[in-house]
Amino acid sequence: MSDHVVECCGVSVGYDKPVLENVDLTVDAGEIVALLGGSGCGKSSLLRCMIGLLPPLAGEVRVLGESLYDLSPEKRSELLRRTGTAFQQDALFGSMTVGDNIGLPLRELTRLPNAIINEMVQLRLGLVGLEGLQARPPASLSGGQRKRAALARASILDPDVMFCDEPSAGLDPAIAAAIDATLLQFRAALGITIVLVTHELASIEAIADRAIMFGRGSVMARGTIPELKESTDEEVHNFFHRVAEQKPQTAMTR
Amino acid sequence: MPPRSASAVVPLRGDLVRAHARKLHRTLRAVARRREAKKVILDFTDAGRIDSSGIAIISILSRKLAHGGRTLEFTKLEKHHEAALALLPKPTTDAVHEPEEPAPGRLERIGEKAIEAATSTRSLFGLIADTLRQTLGVITRRSRLPAGALTTQIALMGVNAIFIVGLLSFLLGMTMAFQGSVQLQRFGAGPFVADMIGVSMVREVGPLMTAVILTGRTGAAIAAELGTMQVRSEIDALSTMGIEPVRFLILPRMFSITIIGPALSLLGMFIGIAGGMMVAALTLDLPPTMFWSRIVERLSIGDFAHGVGKSLVFAWIIGMAGSHLGMRAGGDASSVGTATTRTVVVSIFYIIVVDAIFATVGLVLRTG
Repeated sequence: MSDHVVECCGVSVGYDKPVLENVDLTVDAGEIVALLGGSGCGKSSLLRCMIGLLPPLAGEVRVLGESLYDLSPEKRSELLRRTGTAFQQDALFGSMTVGDNIGLPLRELTRLPNAIINEMVQLRLGLVGLEGLQARPPASLSGGQRKRAALARASILDPDVMFCDEPSAGLDPAIAAAIDATLLQFRAALGITIVLVTHELASIEAIADRAIMFGRGSVMARGTIPELKESTDEEVHNFFHRVAEQKPQTAMTR
Repeated sequence: MPPRSASAVVPLRGDLVRAHARKLHRTLRAVARRREAKKVILDFTDAGRIDSSGIAIISILSRKLAHGGRTLEFTKLEKHHEAALALLPKPTTDAVHEPEEPAPGRLERIGEKAIEAATSTRSLFGLIADTLRQTLGVITRRSRLPAGALTTQIALMGVNAIFIVGLLSFLLGMTMAFQGSVQLQRFGAGPFVADMIGVSMVREVGPLMTAVILTGRTGAAIAAELGTMQVRSEIDALSTMGIEPVRFLILPRMFSITIIGPALSLLGMFIGIAGGMMVAALTLDLPPTMFWSRIVERLSIGDFAHGVGKSLVFAWIIGMAGSHLGMRAGGDASSVGTATTRTVVVSIFYIIVVDAIFATVGLVLRTG
């Protein structure tokens, strides 16, 4: 039995053909690990692979010590109940209120009394800064509010590990910082391990203990953020120092 | 049990997690009921892990105590307890959850419904006016329909519906003839089944049957398609490109349904009559030639005008209901389902209302 919360061994992911090959990575309990890389490098596909939505083309994905794709569908569902996922497009149910969305896993998967469920929902709403919005439909929320509601829903069962796909993408810096603070609080208060896919350098620096950078079809670099910032690899350096991939060749550039 | 005094110390034992949530909730609820304890102290010496359910239960206790002017304190906290309890709402002077706004009363709800209905009606009339304006633009060649849209819509709404309209009308004509012949034969009036089938198919059943099929098939499709486009911001995209959504999306659908509504209705009338004719030939020995001659004798152009005119109005009701409700769909997937269902219900309701008006006016004109 592995001690790692998430472990990928020689994983290849993709749809028709692999976009990422031979990925080896581990995430330990209590860590916040960022998966980085340019658009289309396969990091979101790898995340889908870790949450049971995309079987790997090769290799093994272990989550909480279990080989995810060797489990029966029932066992896999049971295992996935110990994880939480905040999708990039929030995936809130439009037919329910925000409060019902957040409380849904509690109502469906636990036998807690309504009083406790309602209190848990209220606390989560408070934690993500959405107090008083429980009766609103998700369609009436702003993008940032929807993302925060999605985070609240993903964390409501106190998962052992939470997967977040671009949790602060497209949000203003203050809201993005609030989301980062919430993720840190989830870890501190509830011991949740977090794997996040992100492009946001500020977020990575603020919360990630380690980062794994993908490119050229596999893992390109890994390490702590200061280590990666000092990397001599040109692509890694460019990513962290916001250097454009192709500099415009103009007469001004000499 | 804590001593009965001004302050009650409650020792917490074991993990304060979901598995033990009900028991902990019961215990702390009992503590909250003890009015004499002005201060409750939760002792975490023997407490283990604490999860969100544990935090929620402590939060409920804290709120109840604050409500009665009492206080909650913690003692012997470990670091992980402190981190978890940091998720409790910050104490405020009133320390009571106040809902953002009170739930609306009955009168408010009626008012809201009335305002919603008025807004919807205004929007419907706006859409009708816009459609008429755009239609005028197309007729006077100031603007044009999107290339190929009309033929595509006619094929989707009409050609693909021929089989189902034909089959159901034929079966309905047969059923009516069966039922009618049994009753009429009892009075020796069997041949009059031709009159009955002819009049009812042309004036009533043909247009109504076609309208019901069009509602379920075409009206729902219009609402679902436009609703999905609304949800995906495609209609906003058209507007920002300077393309009028009404001309681009609604006009082709309204023009098509204007053509195919009466056309399918006429088809349904004749196929229904054919179904009746077949049954009459088999059960009443009424030759098709005689059946047909009775129909020609009995039916006038006015009857056909009545049926076709009615089916034209039905088609407009279906097209407008689908377009209006589809365009008013909200920002999520469920609103598309609601728009589709409402289109079917609203269309059938107004079709029956209009049918009743046609029947009354027709009767008044004949007797008056």
